[in-house]
Amino acid sequence: MITLLALPLALLSTQQGTGIAQRLAGRVLPQIASLVEELGTAASARGLPIDPLIEKAIEGSAKGIAPERVASALRLVAMQLDTAAAALRDGGLDSDTLAIAAGEFAITAGLSGSDITALARTGANAAALTVGLRVAGTLAALGVPPAEDIGLVSVAMRSGEPGSALLSLPANVQSAMAKGATPAQAAAGLARAAAAQAAHGPPPGRGGGHPHPPAPPHP
Amino acid sequence: MRPESQAADGEIVRAVLAGDRERYAQLVERYRDRYARYATRMLGSVDAAEDAVQDAFVRAYDQLAQCKEPEKFVGWFFLILRNRCFAERRRNRSSASLEMANDVAAVDRADGGAETAEQRRALQRALLELTADQREVFVLKHVEGLSYGEIAERLSTSIPSLKMRMHRAYDKLREQLRDHT
Amino acid sequence: MSGHELHPLIKQLLDGDITLADLPAELRAEGEAALRLLAGVDRTDVSMPAVTWRVMAQLERRRRRFLPWLLAPALAIAAALVVWLVPRTPAPASLVTVRFVLVAPDAKQVSLAGTFNQWDPQATPLVRAGATGVWTATLTLPAGQHQYAFVVDGARWVPDPGAPAIDDGFGRRNSVLTL
Repeated sequence: MITLLALPLALLSTQQGTGIAQRLAGRVLPQIASLVEELGTAASARGLPIDPLIEKAIEGSAKGIAPERVASALRLVAMQLDTAAAALRDGGLDSDTLAIAAGEFAITAGLSGSDITALARTGANAAALTVGLRVAGTLAALGVPPAEDIGLVSVAMRSGEPGSALLSLPANVQSAMAKGATPAQAAAGLARAAAAQAAHGPPPGRGGGHPHPPAPPHP
Repeated sequence: MRPESQAADGEIVRAVLAGDRERYAQLVERYRDRYARYATRMLGSVDAAEDAVQDAFVRAYDQLAQCKEPEKFVGWFFLILRNRCFAERRRNRSSASLEMANDVAAVDRADGGAETAEQRRALQRALLELTADQREVFVLKHVEGLSYGEIAERLSTSIPSLKMRMHRAYDKLREQLRDHT
Repeated sequence: MSGHELHPLIKQLLDGDITLADLPAELRAEGEAALRLLAGVDRTDVSMPAVTWRVMAQLERRRRRFLPWLLAPALAIAAALVVWLVPRTPAPASLVTVRFVLVAPDAKQVSLAGTFNQWDPQATPLVRAGATGVWTATLTLPAGQHQYAFVVDGARWVPDPGAPAIDDGFGRRNSVLTL
């Protein structure tokens, strides 16, 4: 597949190397490249991003992982992309590839489809939700349990926090943990602080819609 | 790194012959390093050895139907690699063996200091001056650590004839190293 | 002891059939010298990770050479691929400078591999700060989601002890960097 596709893509020459074959050429075994093509074609037809598949294939090959294991990991990524997309649709967000990729990351980090739906239901736009999902996944990777995780991120998102504030949540949790808090305690403490701020409403001039009352922690 | 399924060699060979081409990668992965050192010491260069190992695996794939005992793929593969190494030496008889010996020096990891490194280089250069048969018995016994019995079985030859080769190798090495110290 | 040939007993010593103690006194020194010679043989393991994909790629190339009739439908597939492979360009990415640190006093080399450099363990070496065993690298990365790990001595993949970690799908952990 690799050599055959490279020729027509070069002839069409409208892309600067974004084709799957070109991104994988020389980096993965042929059978892995074929699998990525197969999974990628199907994924794209469903409106899913293919970058997570390509990256995972390159990662596995660089790490010297046996092909069967790389193949399993790729199929898992494809499945998780589907789960993330469905969860986002349930939350009212359709087919945003970056948000779906962020959702897939969140699932790898240990969150569930319903956690993703809960974040989507905050009503944030796709860009904000993408950041929110990445942060939620990162917090999960720090050990914050799902309830406190979604609680913190959804409060922060609902209060119209700028992206930079969302992105600093993991560092703030780590600081609190360095002082002796458990991940759950650290996240809950930050959520209370964010809720208190939200009760006063967003500063004038900030976009983000009408203020919501703070959401109860996700059960 | 381990393949997830610990399928036996025979099973993989039969699967490949039945059309599951991609499973050949499992055999390559399993054995590509097993004889890497042997090929490197035989040819005096990691690059040449990589080419030889790659060629041998491709050739083994082509001739897979002729592997009479699929369970003993590795022994059969060794002979293909061996032939490839011997062929390489015949081709490159004229090329600078000094170049190859320097390449081997690059393989040296930092241990024992400059004197040990120089000793190793001298020995590898001297090894390249032996006939391929002499070098092979030396490498199999003193690098790969096989016994004369194991070598005899692998090469389908007798222990006395192996010892004769080896003892000639010892003499030649001593001569080479004495002359060039 | 002159001449080119080693004493037969020395040869037996090298073969491992007898020990130094079995040699007559006048041959011991020569025996030791011969054993030292043998000890100088390079026995380092050699690894050839690239061979696997090179072999499979070569087999695949040869196979394809005999299947030219696949070219026509491949053109159609390629055309379709070009359409859906256009990436949705995210908003212009801001760049963030990040400093990576690993304390590894026993390491001989440390590098960084991750989504930002195609997981290439040779692309981004860390620099050792003197004798303290602190290795660092500073990179400027686009805002977004990144995963990475340190590669110690070319072979050991180690997640960042100070960073959030997730399962990499291969039995190891990757570190997470969310910018």
